[in-house]
Amino acid sequence: MMPAMVFVGIAFLLPVVILLTEGLRTADGWSLARYLTFFSDGLSQEVMLRTLRLGFGVTLASAIIGYGIALTIANASALTRSRMTALFILPLMISPVARTYAWIVLLGRTGLINKALIGIGLTEEPLRLLFSETAVFIGLLQLFLPLMVLSLTSALENMPSDIIPAARILGANWITIFFKLILPLTREGLIIGGTLVFTGAVTAYITPAVLGGSKVLMLETLLYQRISIANDVATASVIAAILIAMSIVTHSLIRRLTSGKRSS
Amino acid sequence: MSNKRTLSLSASLLIGLTSSGAMAQQATLVVSNFAIAQDLMRKDLYAPFEAKCNCKIVVDAGNAADRLAKLEARKGNPEADIAVLADFTALEAARKDLIEPIDTSKLSNFNKLYDFAKDPIGKNYGVGYTFYATSIIYRKDKIEINSWADLWSPKLKNRLALPNITTTQAPLLLFMVERALNGTSPDFAASIDKIGSIKGDVVTFYERAAQLTQLFQQDEIYATVTGRYNWPLITKLNMPIAWATPKEGLTGGLNVLTVVKGSKNKELAYALINEWLSTEAQTRIANDLVDSPANRDVKLAPEIADQLSYGEDVAKSLKVIPPEQVLANRDAWIAGWNTKIAR
Repeated sequence: MMPAMVFVGIAFLLPVVILLTEGLRTADGWSLARYLTFFSDGLSQEVMLRTLRLGFGVTLASAIIGYGIALTIANASALTRSRMTALFILPLMISPVARTYAWIVLLGRTGLINKALIGIGLTEEPLRLLFSETAVFIGLLQLFLPLMVLSLTSALENMPSDIIPAARILGANWITIFFKLILPLTREGLIIGGTLVFTGAVTAYITPAVLGGSKVLMLETLLYQRISIANDVATASVIAAILIAMSIVTHSLIRRLTSGKRSS
Repeated sequence: MSNKRTLSLSASLLIGLTSSGAMAQQATLVVSNFAIAQDLMRKDLYAPFEAKCNCKIVVDAGNAADRLAKLEARKGNPEADIAVLADFTALEAARKDLIEPIDTSKLSNFNKLYDFAKDPIGKNYGVGYTFYATSIIYRKDKIEINSWADLWSPKLKNRLALPNITTTQAPLLLFMVERALNGTSPDFAASIDKIGSIKGDVVTFYERAAQLTQLFQQDEIYATVTGRYNWPLITKLNMPIAWATPKEGLTGGLNVLTVVKGSKNKELAYALINEWLSTEAQTRIANDLVDSPANRDVKLAPEIADQLSYGEDVAKSLKVIPPEQVLANRDAWIAGWNTKIAR
């Protein structure tokens, strides 16, 4: 037990403490001044809000789509199930950089999506999709959806298979079944999936950098800018601390929200 | 088991000892340089120099901010011997006491340099080895560019990419836009306002010049602002793209070689700098389209010269931001950019 604790302490805890205290250390001792400057700056406020908006948006969308896919997978025959799961794991094995660059081609002015939109007459001029929040949202969703699907699928597989038919026989509609049965019973899967997707989305670098660019800054791209251009390690550590806080708060928020559903 | 392990351990120790023994005889010169075209630099400069000096050149490649931070961290006991920097970064390094004045009498090739390259930041803290022009490049089949003010022509709405403030090109853009607006303020207030007013029509503020080829190829943009060092890459696209000569003139930048203060290989450092400035090395480097020569004896074929920023006339015509102005105003530019453009 002890050696393990010492290892964890030195290898994980200590660096985190150093990272987090860096933002509190100033020339005149300990101070919250850097946090106050960061929170009062208009650009950082906008970037923080955007990061939260995209983080929650992607988590919510992946939960909705994820349940749809996971239910389909869980109800399929064993062979189809393993094939579909493999299909969903496959993109995880492709580099996020390659996947993100593929979106540049798809979302571009002469890309597949704009051609399709013009083809079916929805728009005459190609839409500017690249370097927008929409592009970052799509990129992040595609990147992290498999994580949600995997954790929901394994949660659904652990659910007794006869409770949904039983509820149907007793006259429950699908909405009741989802909120009273499926959601409470797959709660752990949703918490794990939601935390993974949210943390992944707010800390992703390559997707906002490539699909959003400097016009759609997120905390992670702002962090990189502070380090690589201004060599401002202190502000970068403030941003890192905010990202950690966001992930922890979101984790407990999802936990609380889903447990609330069960008690009601 | 333990026998085998001891054996292999002592074997590796032995190898370690002998190789470090060989290393001790051969000096290692560390060059802190930009990451661009280092393979060509090895072929054109480092390898030929190594053959002569019985030394080994190690390149520490990276962007300016990272490398400046490294020099600061190792102040007094530096790892690097030569630092290759933009003129204003070199001035910053000089003010932080990280580099030392160069005794130019020890450089036999010094007098071959164009005058503007001889002492660009004062007190001989750096010698210019290359310069570049910066202008607007544009699709000549779609638009015409005669002035920096054409950047906000309605034809470029949603078809323009500009450098982000995080690049070296952004201050140059603001500098020329300020001139086009007849502004004179060194904090570029008028040009930051102007770019801010069209930011919605700008496709993206690029951070890496490599992005530009893709943006042109995908028809996302018709124009952008970039350095001449990007031109060879752009011409490879085989698209009708032209280099503008706006009526307000072209801007540009100068890069310098500096000696790191406290370098333990000063003699070798001087030798490499001298080699770097030589007509032969500068010609090889220019012919590979890596850097434009600052040595006035370099003669280039017209098709090579056309791809670079070549000749004293070109250099003299450039409107360059004085390095002191960059350092004095950079924080104000970033602050202005962040409130008016980045948001």
